Amino acid sequence: MTDFIEPVVTDVNRGFWDGCAQGVLRVQRCLACGHLRYPVAPWCPECLDERSEWQALSGRGSVLSKLVFHQSYHPAWKDRIPYNVVLVQLDEGPRMISNVAPVSSEDFAVGDAVEVVFEREGEFSIPRFRVTG
Amino acid sequence: MSWDKAAITGVGTSRMGKFPGVTSNALAKEAFVNAINDAGIPKEEIDGLITMPGTTSPEGPKHYLALGELLGINPRIAWSISMGGATVGTLITQAALAIEAGMASTVAVVFGDAAKTGGSRFGAAAGDDDSWGIWGMFGNAANSAIAASRHMAVYGTTSEQLGWVGVTMRKHAALNPNAIMREPFTIDDHQNSRMIVDPLHLLDCCLISDGAVAIIVTSPERARDNATHPVRIMGMGQAHSLQKLGKEDWWYMPHQRDAIFDAYRMAGVGPKDIDVAQLYDNFTISVLLWLEHAGFVEPGEAGPFVEGGERISLGGELPVNTSGGNLSESYMQGWLHVVEGVRQMRGECGPRQVAGAEVTLVTGRGMTLNTSAALVLGR
Repeated sequence: MTDFIEPVVTDVNRGFWDGCAQGVLRVQRCLACGHLRYPVAPWCPECLDERSEWQALSGRGSVLSKLVFHQSYHPAWKDRIPYNVVLVQLDEGPRMISNVAPVSSEDFAVGDAVEVVFEREGEFSIPRFRVTG
Repeated sequence: MSWDKAAITGVGTSRMGKFPGVTSNALAKEAFVNAINDAGIPKEEIDGLITMPGTTSPEGPKHYLALGELLGINPRIAWSISMGGATVGTLITQAALAIEAGMASTVAVVFGDAAKTGGSRFGAAAGDDDSWGIWGMFGNAANSAIAASRHMAVYGTTSEQLGWVGVTMRKHAALNPNAIMREPFTIDDHQNSRMIVDPLHLLDCCLISDGAVAIIVTSPERARDNATHPVRIMGMGQAHSLQKLGKEDWWYMPHQRDAIFDAYRMAGVGPKDIDVAQLYDNFTISVLLWLEHAGFVEPGEAGPFVEGGERISLGGELPVNTSGGNLSESYMQGWLHVVEGVRQMRGECGPRQVAGAEVTLVTGRGMTLNTSAALVLGR
């Protein structure tokens, strides 16, 4: 029993998790229309072209929404309560569900500037964010 | 001009609450029998059966097969769909359109669930390939908490304002003998209730209930023959944001506005014509968003509008969820909102009747803030 939920790595999302392992947050850029997409997807939801490349992002963004979980919904997170979950607006356009690190942080607000950090969970580097301003 | 090509002639509910060992179909059967009795028709008149599988229905999308066999019905049209809280509005729309097209004459629209005792989980991780569970993001409260947190940050909405929604729904439930939770609570009780997913407290959350609802839809001609309080289907609308993170304002659920305004347009009405509203309230924040999307207030103004509770109470300028809603009556995924809308239009609501009410708006939304449906019903 792991104490975290492991990402399920597939041929489609391997580039995302390999990037995280190297300390780089990257998303797919459509080779036809240039759209940056997240979540990872097998084709571009804008133009439906399947060709893409992995593009590194600045890792900077801002907090769009801030939650603090007091209720346990999964054994892997039971011992971390209370923990935060955030919706992050990345500067380049995509939005992510993530956490402010450490996940026990509560002293931040919607609108705060953040920057990606990577936290080790088992064999994975999980992208989270630290508050920069 | 309103649409009026079909009408609701019967509504039926099962017992509501916590019934260990009951099946969703046993509850659905109770509701079905009550609905056809309410419509005053034998079951042989039912030539359409369209259903929503309960969260505990083992049949999934084949639910109509099992329920049809159990009810002894061999209909012309039959199917099941799942859109969460938008399902009932969507199914009634489908029934109405099938009737207008001549593909069916009298349709039973049915939902039953043993969500309280049947082991339902409302805490699954949302998201896609990269499950949001990786970041601890689980459950329906959290989805609505995203909306609440953002609404608070953008518009200055407060937890106390959300609390007034809960307090008011409970006040209405106290007038409804069928409501599960009838004990009044105060804003202090709301503020002191434990956090579930901050900014949502326990008393911002709906119930989880065992129960069932059935609704009979038929043509206006047959409705007149039956002479059983037909309620007009004046307008219908649906809209969905199927993209989540990919849509910038997904958290605000702007599709809800489109669903409502399509229904308004079909009904030939606007917000000022709505006498009483049944707004899907899985969490208190949802009521604020509906008030804005339905044009009762401008975006960002719903918090001050609900403060103190008077405006959305019985006797106020826009009574909302007069039966107590998902928050206090029973969590039937919005199906009871249709039942209450029908009963308000029939003038059957006793101490919670809105005097002279002629037009009601009924809304529903489901999944990961994705789907929405709206009905305008009339006397």
